[in-house]
Amino acid sequence: MSAREEFVSIYRETLPVLLIALGGGLVSGVILENLLESVERFPGLLVMVPVFLATRGNVYGALGGRLASGLHQGLIEPRFSWDERLVNAVVASFVNGIGISVVIAVLTRLALAVLGWESAALWEFLAIMLISGVLTSTVLIFGLLLVLFGGYKAGYDPDNLVGPIVTTLGDIFGMLFLVFAVTLVGVIP
Amino acid sequence: MSILSTDRSLGSWSARSIVSTMFPLLIVLSVIVLAAGITLDRAEALLEEYRVLAIMVPTMVGLGGNLGAILSSRLSSRLHLGVATFDVRDTGLWANIAAILALAVTVFTVLAIGSYLLGLALGVGVALPTLLFIALVSGISIAVIAIVCSFGATYASYRLGVDPDDLTIPIVTNVVDVFGMLIFVGVSWVVLGF
Repeated sequence: MSAREEFVSIYRETLPVLLIALGGGLVSGVILENLLESVERFPGLLVMVPVFLATRGNVYGALGGRLASGLHQGLIEPRFSWDERLVNAVVASFVNGIGISVVIAVLTRLALAVLGWESAALWEFLAIMLISGVLTSTVLIFGLLLVLFGGYKAGYDPDNLVGPIVTTLGDIFGMLFLVFAVTLVGVIP
Repeated sequence: MSILSTDRSLGSWSARSIVSTMFPLLIVLSVIVLAAGITLDRAEALLEEYRVLAIMVPTMVGLGGNLGAILSSRLSSRLHLGVATFDVRDTGLWANIAAILALAVTVFTVLAIGSYLLGLALGVGVALPTLLFIALVSGISIAVIAIVCSFGATYASYRLGVDPDDLTIPIVTNVVDVFGMLIFVGVSWVVLGF
């Protein structure tokens, strides 16, 4: 392939994926804009947002990559079943996703204390991260399985699907459930 | 993709081993990205005055990470196929870089227009030329960082003998998370004279 052809093929193949991610990103941006109002109720909340979103990508990107490789190698079947490997991978990502949410709440509280900035209480951060962590994990795991299996059976390379699914679903549902958790914890006196 | 025998790969599919391999890495990455969060919190006043910027934040960072991830996975595939040479005379490498930059110009232009329209609809608009300038300057800077970081991480994992598939994408996306936020907030700050 000449350099020119390579340039054109990369541009053509990846532009649709990037535009999907862009659409998802804008939706989560609108939700972040709404979240700004809650910042006064929970000082330091904005510090947690990028870490929370980034870990969604790390945990479920890894799960997606593992499932894609498993499908390619024929180690797992493209359907919902009580397969030992599938159950293990799902359980591990759930443990990682929830565990890191708790770590984020503690780390954020610690960083704010070190910087001497105003901060909400640790239990408030913990409650927000746990609620949004559990909900996002559930949606991402089932979303990933559904799209990867469906896509694989329809003849798509699961490796190409993982990235956009994880960034788009992770950003939108991560932000949505974060707002939901903030609202819920905000109502508790 | 690892080429392991079936019974060995069952070991790597155990929940305990997946968690114990990944969790320490997740903690390290979280500490790094916390720096990006601190920048976002410092920029709270800027975001509250120009709320359209808050709409752009997740997309700016997400797209930068996506561009880096695409280049990294292409580089590691080239490495696996034995065609990567890390030679400046390799026109294939330059075609990859040029394509990433062209994609950056395209998507960050679309981002500026999209946020402008959303801003209008929500009544938090900023002039389109200003948004275009902020999106393109910070977007292209982020793309350059993603490119440098993809090459660095792929080359490092090649020298260390680690499979770049396991290493480069998390590193690149997290570096972009941190620097993307810093650059975007910095550029907006200067342009809007905040």
